[in-house]
Amino acid sequence: MSLAAQQLRLRAGARILVDALDLSLEPGEVLGILGANGSGKSTLLAVLAGLGRPTHGEVTLDGRPVSALPALTRAQHIGLLPQGDDGGFLGSVADFVALGRFPFGGRADPLPQLRHWELADLAHRPLATLSGGERQRARLAQLALQQPRVALLDEPLTHLDPLHQSRLLDWVRAEADAGGSVALSLHDPSWAAHHCDRLLFLYGDGRWRIGTPAALLTPFALEGLYGAGTARMWRQGAIGEPV
Amino acid sequence: MAGPLPADAELARQILTDLRGPRVAAAFACGGLLALAGALMQTLFRNPLAEPYLLGVSGGAGLLALLGMAAGLAWPWVSLLAFAGSLIALGLAAAMGGRLLARDHTPLLLAGVMLAAGFGALIALVLSIAPAERLPGMLFFLMGDLAWAGNVPLLWGALLLGVAAALSLARRLDVLQLTPLKAASLGVAVAPTRWMLFGLAGAATSLVVAQAGTIGFVGLMVPHALRKLGFSGHRLLLPAAALAGGSLLVLADALARTVIEPRELPVGVLTALIGVPLMLWLLRKP
Repeated sequence: MSLAAQQLRLRAGARILVDALDLSLEPGEVLGILGANGSGKSTLLAVLAGLGRPTHGEVTLDGRPVSALPALTRAQHIGLLPQGDDGGFLGSVADFVALGRFPFGGRADPLPQLRHWELADLAHRPLATLSGGERQRARLAQLALQQPRVALLDEPLTHLDPLHQSRLLDWVRAEADAGGSVALSLHDPSWAAHHCDRLLFLYGDGRWRIGTPAALLTPFALEGLYGAGTARMWRQGAIGEPV
Repeated sequence: MAGPLPADAELARQILTDLRGPRVAAAFACGGLLALAGALMQTLFRNPLAEPYLLGVSGGAGLLALLGMAAGLAWPWVSLLAFAGSLIALGLAAAMGGRLLARDHTPLLLAGVMLAAGFGALIALVLSIAPAERLPGMLFFLMGDLAWAGNVPLLWGALLLGVAAALSLARRLDVLQLTPLKAASLGVAVAPTRWMLFGLAGAATSLVVAQAGTIGFVGLMVPHALRKLGFSGHRLLLPAAALAGGSLLVLADALARTVIEPRELPVGVLTALIGVPLMLWLLRKP
């Protein structure tokens, strides 16, 4: 199962965010997407998920345009973890997580996922009473229950403590090892360096770069991506040194 | 029962089957439809304080009904005018605010609130210039009154059909509680489903308003209270709302008929008098 983008152009109003992007997400691959705030990471992920239309170009899943797939079929293959809170949900954590099975019609036991994300003790609490990090884990558990072959995660590390960042890593790796592909946006070059197979840099003005972490994660390249001053943070250790 | 009934028992039976029975049946159906519509509106707007009249339905219906009354029209015509008025209000709200419903429900909400405010002003205008002898009837319409709700088969047909239609959407509505983008990623067609909610809630509300005026509070309080009490899945919430809404309105109407016998109160006064303290008490619960 491979998700591919050809000649994508994305706009925000009159501004071109991404231009002429060719990208193929292969089975077993973890792709990290880095870029400054507003550079188009979320827009790109929504378009890759078939939920937004590009200004130009096309996204295909195994050669078929995602925009032409029936909604449920698409949801059986592609999962999206959008940013934004689902705190308006009034039911329990278990009910919330179970919604991940919607595309498949039947009911699925959310317990294994609740355990993996350490939510089993909170399963019957109203979602709204959870902390930000706990809610993020519930959203990840919901996505995991969906078992998408292509998982698109928008800043999944948000709110997660180090232990649960490692739980996320375990899940991402297990997905990739099982032949799934994962694309995630993030702001942590260290995480990107250690845990992503390839990186996509979005400059927010149409330009982009794609390559291995070793090739892309240099202080010079990060200054080019985020602006002056980031290399200084890198040297002072605020950003982890890539290996 | 064996043998012919004595005369007063016959009278009692007639009162029961010809007057009280239909009125209780109409009250239950109206309350059920309003609570169902409220539950659907709360899901449509992802807000537990949404209610059936949010989009100006009561204002549109009230304005045309009052104009009809001011012109001296009789009830079936007033009822039809009320129905037309609520449909006009819904149409205006949809036309002005419905464009981006796949992503954002705020424009629809704002259009509805603005329309309601405009209709409210026009209603006040009609009230202030209408002949004095017509005012009591107008006030009863605006507060809701089941004395007019004569078409029991229509109301019950609508209630059963409405609950069945809403239940067929129940799983989708559960997902619709998430953000629109997340709901879409799970395979729910957000805009069509939201339009279905709009249509179902709008039709149910319009029907009740045309039969019994603008009975307040049932549509807000019942589904909100049920959600507070832990009914979050729509498969239980929707039928429970219909049952509880119907029961509440039967109770309120019984009180409206009897509190100051032989005169009647508008039932909307009673739903608010029962509902407000209950809501305030529920709000104190965590």
